[in-house]
Amino acid sequence: MSAAAAAAAESVAAVAAREVSKAFGGVQALRSAPFAAAAGEVHALVGENGAGKSTLIKLLGGRLPPDSGAILLGGTPVRLSGTADAARHGIGTVFQELTLLPWMTVAENLLIGREPRRALGPIRRGAMAPRAEAVLAGLGITHIDPRALASEISLAERQIVEIARVIIRRPHILLLDEPTSSLVEREVAWLFARIRDLSAAGTAVVFTSHRWNEITSIADRITIFRNGAEVGTFDAIDEDEAITLMTGRRVEALYPPLPPVPADAPAVLEVANASLDGGSELGFSLAAGEILGIGGLAGQGHRELFLGLFGAPPLPRARVTVGGARTTIARPADAIHAGLGIALVPEDRKGEGLLLPLSVRDNLTLPILGRLSRLGVIRGAAERRMSREIIARLGIRTPGPAQPVGALSGGNQQKVLLGRWLLADSRILLFYDVTRGVDVATKHEIYELMMRLAGEGRAILFYSSDTEELAHLCHRVLVLRGGRIATELRPPDLAAEAIVAAAMRDADAG
Amino acid sequence: MKRLALSRDALRVLAAYGAAVLLFVIGAFVHPGFASFQSVTSILLVASFVGLVAAGQCFVILIGGIDLSVPWVLNAAAILLTTASLGQDGRALYAVSLTLGMGALAGLANGIGVVWLGVPAVVMTLAMNGIIEGLALGLSGGMTCAACASYAPPAIAAAVHGTWLGIPAALWLWLAVIVVVSFVLSLTRFGRATYAIGNNPRAAFLAGVNVSVTVVFLYALSGVFSALAGILLAGFGGQASLGMGTPYLFQSIAAVVIGGVSILGGRGTYLGAAAGAASLTALVSVLLALNMPEYGRSIIYGVVILVLLLLYGREQRE
Repeated sequence: MSAAAAAAAESVAAVAAREVSKAFGGVQALRSAPFAAAAGEVHALVGENGAGKSTLIKLLGGRLPPDSGAILLGGTPVRLSGTADAARHGIGTVFQELTLLPWMTVAENLLIGREPRRALGPIRRGAMAPRAEAVLAGLGITHIDPRALASEISLAERQIVEIARVIIRRPHILLLDEPTSSLVEREVAWLFARIRDLSAAGTAVVFTSHRWNEITSIADRITIFRNGAEVGTFDAIDEDEAITLMTGRRVEALYPPLPPVPADAPAVLEVANASLDGGSELGFSLAAGEILGIGGLAGQGHRELFLGLFGAPPLPRARVTVGGARTTIARPADAIHAGLGIALVPEDRKGEGLLLPLSVRDNLTLPILGRLSRLGVIRGAAERRMSREIIARLGIRTPGPAQPVGALSGGNQQKVLLGRWLLADSRILLFYDVTRGVDVATKHEIYELMMRLAGEGRAILFYSSDTEELAHLCHRVLVLRGGRIATELRPPDLAAEAIVAAAMRDADAG
Repeated sequence: MKRLALSRDALRVLAAYGAAVLLFVIGAFVHPGFASFQSVTSILLVASFVGLVAAGQCFVILIGGIDLSVPWVLNAAAILLTTASLGQDGRALYAVSLTLGMGALAGLANGIGVVWLGVPAVVMTLAMNGIIEGLALGLSGGMTCAACASYAPPAIAAAVHGTWLGIPAALWLWLAVIVVVSFVLSLTRFGRATYAIGNNPRAAFLAGVNVSVTVVFLYALSGVFSALAGILLAGFGGQASLGMGTPYLFQSIAAVVIGGVSILGGRGTYLGAAAGAASLTALVSVLLALNMPEYGRSIIYGVVILVLLLLYGREQRE
């Protein structure tokens, strides 16, 4: 954007940033970035992880002050002292990290600060749940129980409550940082309907997403960031061009070709009588070199299935055969050492996968310390060598193996987690939403890695909240519904639309 | 910038050692002879008791736990040593094994309560402290039993007071503990598991770490270290007395915190905690040299801990 155009844009904008910069320690997260969003506009921010999108949202939302530059509302510079102050200016933000209080109910979380009260101030506790129910219903949400604790509902439901909590305050400016990362199609559709309502009522909506089809389906304008700098704002731009701008280089076809599964590939993992909800049972078989997709709406037992196969906790009554031998998996250590070795890359990278303050090396070698040590003493030289090898092999961008994992970007953190299981030489990989919140360039690297792993004869069980990924990266997809396998899709029927249709068929009826 | 962030933990350890040295220098100004070899070794000897308890405390704090049963495990250990040995060298080995076993058992019970019964560490170890206090008082008839007047076996007293190369034997023991504990924490599978659990027990579990067994073992170790300190204190003072363990709860936690171990777990080293024990004891000695009454020392203690937690807490939030 030229300086003159930027000045013109910011004078009419509902919310704008004038040449804002922000540094964290030695890292310049944003440098002299201009930005403007008009009332009634839906404005997408796109870029790789670490490009500065989240930082910009935090500056606009009052969570962080800019080092230099200014935030403008309706053309007037303002100094926001915090999110509460921003709320007084009509700014509502859904940050990337979820902020619900886990041990309070959905209703209490939703209505926090605006609880129904009696004459002298005490909260009418009995009225909380009905009020919350009415508020949610008004937004078209009927499947979340307002009496449930926030910790009891699924990640997607928490995200929805988080969004609902902000939009019921009718902000003039709505900022959403990766609101769809944990949502599936239908929930995304719900969110977009709300966004359209709000923008029709004159709200300026700013959001970030890594999913291109979502961006093009809802955004009026798109601003692209790279390395903390704004590289352009467009009314329309095609994906290839956008990716080139985001990454500074061209990425060939987003989805690499699948290596074929040999006809005589042995089944490496067979599951029978697995019950995800205590009732109906399911079974399936996974062959060496195969990528088996698991699809379906959130909350249909995917998480239970993946954790269950890893023994955390085990699936009741399930009969599991690994590499042809019956195996009892009571805890993760059993799974890791079972026959061919099972690995789980969990959904919540920071909460369940990595030990953020510990070094890249410590994170990489944790499951194989038994193999790496003699009489309980770790062989330091071997450990350093293996860490360096895996860092080089996966192209993990880190100053060295001693760097704390928390200091790496999201995509590189994910690579550390994948690298851990490559070091363990696990032949059966359970990938649970591994590309969630990962930028497009790293996504592409993960896809290629998956193809390479499958080509080496490793078996991958793959769940993704992005059905396009399932459709393009899997040999077969099993769609789960109500703890059962509703449909098995194979090419040529394997397509994103077919997965969605199979997932929703009954869910809509009942 | 980056380099500084990397060595932050090391800086804290250095700060703790620096504080100890500074206190000895201040002490030398206040009271000539404070920094003499004789005086320094006797202060460090006192610090070694705190340091041994702090080793156990360090283990459990590294996993985000805490051991509040220190005072009476230590006290009961001293009583058990004297009453079981009846002051005879011939029974010393038996008494020492029995005492360490008692410490291990108490710690094991703590660990089992925390891990398998899901009792919060604060509640579990506090209850254990009460139970052991009751047992110790009840079984010894409030220290009126015939055996209660016994002294520690002369061999143990001699081992504590004896010197080798001019340095008290208890200090050599502490030095060995520092080396072994630091080695275990930094270079073994067990140590790595401890840090992993302290940082994120769920992620450690999903990486195949045997979280339950490790945690129980760490609590048992804490019990053993408390008992070991009790044995040495009985040898140091000659006899067991009621309430002798009381100061060690606060001091062990303080030493660990001063040494830069995060009270939330997952960060810090025993090398730091040992420095914490040394500087804390040096602080007490300086205050004593200043003729500071006990209430004043308590206040300064509390303020030092608060200030350090504030400083370290702030660092972490960045």
